[in-house]
Amino acid sequence: MSTPVTTVHDAVVGDGTSTRGRSAQRWRRARWPLALLALVVGAGILSALPEPRTSTLTLAPDNPGDLGARAAAQILAREGVDVRYVRRVADVRTLAGPGSTVLVVGDYLLTDEQVDVLDATGADLVLADAGWALGVLSPSLASSGVAPAEAEVRAAACDDPDAVAAGTITAGGGLLATGPGAVVCFPAPGTGTDQGGAYAVTESDGRRIVGLADMAPLTNQHLAEQGNAALVLRALGRHERLVWYIPSLDDTGGGGEQEPSSGQLLPPVVPVLALQLLLVLVVTALWRGRRLGRLVTEQLPVVVRAGETTRGRGRLYRRGRSYGHAAAALRAGTAARSAARLGLPGSAGAPLVIDAIARAAGRRPTDVEALLYGPPPTDDRGLTQLARDLDHLESEVHRT
Amino acid sequence: MALTWRAVVLAALGLPVVLVVPATGTVMLWTLLVVLVCVVDVALAASPRQVAIRREVPSSVRLTEPATSTLTLTNLGARRLRALVRDAWPPSTGAQSDRHRVDVRPRDGARVRTVLEPTRRGDAHADRVTLRTLGPLGVAGRQASIDTPGRLRVLPEFASRRHLPSRLARLRELDGRASVQVRGPGTEFDSLREYVIGDDVRAIDWRATARRSDVVVRTWRPERDRRVLIVLDSGRTSAVRVLDAPRIDASIEAALLLAALATKAGDRVELLVFDRRVRGRVASATGAGVMASFADTLALVEPELVETDWPGVVAQVRQRLSQRALVVLLTALDPAAVEQGLLGVVGQLTERHQVVLASVSDPEVDALRTARTGAAAVFDAAAAERVGLERAAVAVRLRQRGAEVVDALPDHLAPRLADTYISLKAAGRL
Repeated sequence: MSTPVTTVHDAVVGDGTSTRGRSAQRWRRARWPLALLALVVGAGILSALPEPRTSTLTLAPDNPGDLGARAAAQILAREGVDVRYVRRVADVRTLAGPGSTVLVVGDYLLTDEQVDVLDATGADLVLADAGWALGVLSPSLASSGVAPAEAEVRAAACDDPDAVAAGTITAGGGLLATGPGAVVCFPAPGTGTDQGGAYAVTESDGRRIVGLADMAPLTNQHLAEQGNAALVLRALGRHERLVWYIPSLDDTGGGGEQEPSSGQLLPPVVPVLALQLLLVLVVTALWRGRRLGRLVTEQLPVVVRAGETTRGRGRLYRRGRSYGHAAAALRAGTAARSAARLGLPGSAGAPLVIDAIARAAGRRPTDVEALLYGPPPTDDRGLTQLARDLDHLESEVHRT
Repeated sequence: MALTWRAVVLAALGLPVVLVVPATGTVMLWTLLVVLVCVVDVALAASPRQVAIRREVPSSVRLTEPATSTLTLTNLGARRLRALVRDAWPPSTGAQSDRHRVDVRPRDGARVRTVLEPTRRGDAHADRVTLRTLGPLGVAGRQASIDTPGRLRVLPEFASRRHLPSRLARLRELDGRASVQVRGPGTEFDSLREYVIGDDVRAIDWRATARRSDVVVRTWRPERDRRVLIVLDSGRTSAVRVLDAPRIDASIEAALLLAALATKAGDRVELLVFDRRVRGRVASATGAGVMASFADTLALVEPELVETDWPGVVAQVRQRLSQRALVVLLTALDPAAVEQGLLGVVGQLTERHQVVLASVSDPEVDALRTARTGAAAVFDAAAAERVGLERAAVAVRLRQRGAEVVDALPDHLAPRLADTYISLKAAGRL
């Protein structure tokens, strides 16, 4: 073959694009994805903006539902009270002090230590539906132990100014005075205050402790009924600051010390270091992510093997359990090869072939006939055995 | 725009700084520094579009032989060109290392070589040349991929040429040196020479003997200037994979060996690649140029997934051959395909020409036939046996219609076909 000739192609300079053209092309390619991204981000910001946060927690100051207390909180805030909504006793300790009011809603999540913290703040306390805590904080008050009944209209029946101002309220439940200096108001209709009332107040060491046996007067649903609003607003609005404390399940830290979070356990350099590592990561990604030119593709030739059709045929035989076909093929193959080896013409008949093979292999003609022209096998074992026997026979056939 | 590992190191150098001054501002400042350094480096990098790229490729190379693609880069810009160059070729060209570093001063040039070791026959078209130029700091750079035309024609391997010397020797034996050759139809008178013991006495030329004192015999030589038409079937049966290559590759090897042999024997060889239309042809020729044009044409032959139009083949043969010739059909002895296509029209060919059908058989079928490991294998063996019987039957029917049939394994097809050619020539049947 002649020596190959080298082809020299013309020199190429650049890819025919200009900086302006490339940036225009990039902009054309990127504008729709960018527009989509802007749309998504914009929609997210818009949906996050207008609605103030609300909750569905009972008596939460941001709950606008029937059982919420947003009405009372908003009225207080409008009247100049600084309402602080907290869920952790540690926050109560920081925010509350003498000259402020702490509203405690429910006491079944409170621990002894947390009650001690409330006691230690020195702030005025309003305990709603918190009979046990009331008993711990004030020795002269206790819960009657009766679960709050259906809210009913009750009259003040005492001389506490707040109660008198309210007149009547809708409430249930009962608080008992167990010591001196405690005033109990709003007994159940037809009973006296010595049998318990929905509202109790006591003063000790210059602090005022108010107990409300029932949450009903505070709720949005009932605030406007009877004198509920007057009672609630007077009880909660005594000071400039109101700490609205609803105990939470995950605030187990009772004592004075605040539990440090995992972030606070790490040295302060770690988050900054992580930020720098992120920068390194981004630069590495940009370095590795840029491919040196595109991938080159090419068409591949067919990969179907020539033997596939034969295998497929074998599988069809097997699925059809056609032992007859398979055995006939094996026998015909053996007979054809043996006959060719013995020099018989392709047109030789069965008796001639049997006779020749029997003589060459030194077997009885009946055996050879049974092997080559016998009944077909009926199972896998029979077929395998037949194949082995045919192999044996073929190996014995030699030209004499 | 592309970064290098140095940019990563620069970013990582900020880690100790952050340890000393642990503030978010430090990270911000360092990020700004990294971006600034990258931007400056990119701005100072040479433009990859101000480089003249010239590619030199050998026009053709034989399969398994190495070729070299040479890129000549000329820096047309005013800045020093420090770049990473990738000379991209398709995977089957076997480019081992197609990335090169160059450092070219303005108005200067550099040359990079990529060694290609092709693994597949056919035309390989070069892809783009990618240039990544780096700035003076080597932190970042610019990148462009530039269309640079280039084509490498990978010719068939012609591994069967190792059989050529032995077949040529046999051809020379035929060539009238010995008059033991049977005088058959079509042999040509060559010369007279002295009788040696062993020569056929019937070859003694009594008239010439009478004129001289020695006994003189006539010698004969095989006919020359016969025509050989090789028809390569590129239909669907040629696409099937036998061993590790498509069936057509073994057929191409056989065609090349036969062409080489027939050319040396003084015959005129033609090639026709056909499925439903002509895919390639080499006109009747003799001499040195034949093999080159054969290899060139066969390099581009790809199997098509269509059924071969055998009446079309017959029409083509009729159109091209006016006198008696040897027609070699390189196809597959696939019983179903042959029965429906070739068998009906082969008679029209054999009545005017000597026809040889050469087919690649599959060693896998033989392996299947002798497998006895379990019932599934025996069923496969039965199927293989049946396929073998059908092939044999269809071969018999082709022979009855006057065609020679050569059915051989891929490696054996070329020498077997050459042997058939020699024996036909010896028998004077061309």
